[in-house]
Amino acid sequence: MSGTDCMNDADQPLPLAPDTGPTRRRLAAALAGTAACLALCLGGVPARAESADVAFVHQFGDKLVAVINGSGSTAEKRQQIQPLIDQNVDVDGIARFAMGRYWKLASPSQQQQFVTLFHHVLLNTITGKLGEYQGVRFSVGGDTPHGDGQTQVATTIDRPGQPPANVDWVLSHKAGAPKVEDVFGEGVSLSLTQRQDYSSYLSRNGNDIDKLLGAMQRQAARSS
Amino acid sequence: MRTVGQIRATVRRAGAIAAAGLLLGAGGCAQKPTDPDALADYNGTNDPLEPTNRFFYRVNNTVDQYTLKPVAQAYVYVVPQPARTGVHNALANLASPATFFNDMFETRPRRAGDTFMRFLINSTVGVVGVFDVAKGWGYPAHDADGGMTLASWGVPQGPYLYLPALGPSSPQAITGFGMDVALAPLTYVPRGYGLLTLNWALYGIGVVDARAGVLNDLDQINRDALDPYATLRSLYRQHRAAQIEAMRKDNRMTTPDWYTQ
Repeated sequence: MSGTDCMNDADQPLPLAPDTGPTRRRLAAALAGTAACLALCLGGVPARAESADVAFVHQFGDKLVAVINGSGSTAEKRQQIQPLIDQNVDVDGIARFAMGRYWKLASPSQQQQFVTLFHHVLLNTITGKLGEYQGVRFSVGGDTPHGDGQTQVATTIDRPGQPPANVDWVLSHKAGAPKVEDVFGEGVSLSLTQRQDYSSYLSRNGNDIDKLLGAMQRQAARSS
Repeated sequence: MRTVGQIRATVRRAGAIAAAGLLLGAGGCAQKPTDPDALADYNGTNDPLEPTNRFFYRVNNTVDQYTLKPVAQAYVYVVPQPARTGVHNALANLASPATFFNDMFETRPRRAGDTFMRFLINSTVGVVGVFDVAKGWGYPAHDADGGMTLASWGVPQGPYLYLPALGPSSPQAITGFGMDVALAPLTYVPRGYGLLTLNWALYGIGVVDARAGVLNDLDQINRDALDPYATLRSLYRQHRAAQIEAMRKDNRMTTPDWYTQ
């Protein structure tokens, strides 16, 4: 049970007529739920409040949505989005993951070049989607633990005339403050998809990392 | 600009090569790598028929470019969004019986109940399924198909397949697709001339609707991915796994809220 569930139980107005069976049972269930939550909060789970992660996604999302729905050219929006991404997303970590087993095979300068290019390519991908997301709204749901020390925060993205999309944000707390480590759209991981794209490209191009860097350079140059 | 004759010749040649590729079979298998890390990647993608798959991927893309894609683009251009959503909803409503049976086969009674109520509400209040009224009434849509049913029975997904005309698939998904066709009520309508036409028309609209739904996404994959084939494979497999996972996790109780022991 997550912290948000517990809050919901407590927020419900408690029935004042405890004579009827079902209401009494519901009251008892609410109390038991609250007690279980308290026990969890005080006991095993560390004090790193889960609601902080939800708040982080809320703030980050609100800022992104404000830029996307705001006026201004694509170039201006790109400039506004860049600091938001650098601040809130662990792009270096994602880049490293996306290179997969080739990270070890790359020289330090190749690694450096790859990470720099990855920043550009990621920003291009995001700005390339801006037009499709005009008039977007988003709502934040609860959070669940994900892997070791990570949290997953669920959000729903509504676009005019489109079915709502479920987007989950995976946050890590390596640097103290939460940072986005992966994004799942309808259960599909952004970083895993990127990793499989790169690894397939490399294995079909003689495992030549310079070729990958060249292809990324062309991508980065195309729309920046 | 190529003439129709040239395109026809290309298609005929492609057909001949495809047949040859199928006959050779073993010739279309990927080489297993020896390096342990590379082998882990190879096993992870589970695409032993990659050369054959890539061949059909190219054929489909070429055919799509001259046929289905322009039709889907015209459809999006001519028909406004609300009407397209209505068409999509109506088609989904017609597929409800197959969804219902799959919900049952997956032993998900609450999902079957949702589908039943959706069919009831949307067919009537929703005007033959054009408006998804049921969603607002607490019966949201979910995915269920023959492939997911097989997954719930423990049938593994098997290697990745890229099929001519049908696209990304797997032995599990294509078997399930056959089961869904067998479950669709329209498969069994009497072969009157009008109904046959209706059946083909619905099928055609369904194909255009499905293609129009992924116009932007596929364009984006082709623009942003270094290896669009591999990206599509990754997206398909992850999405499939997520659909099956959502089905497995949906263990809502069947006892109604008002029930007291």
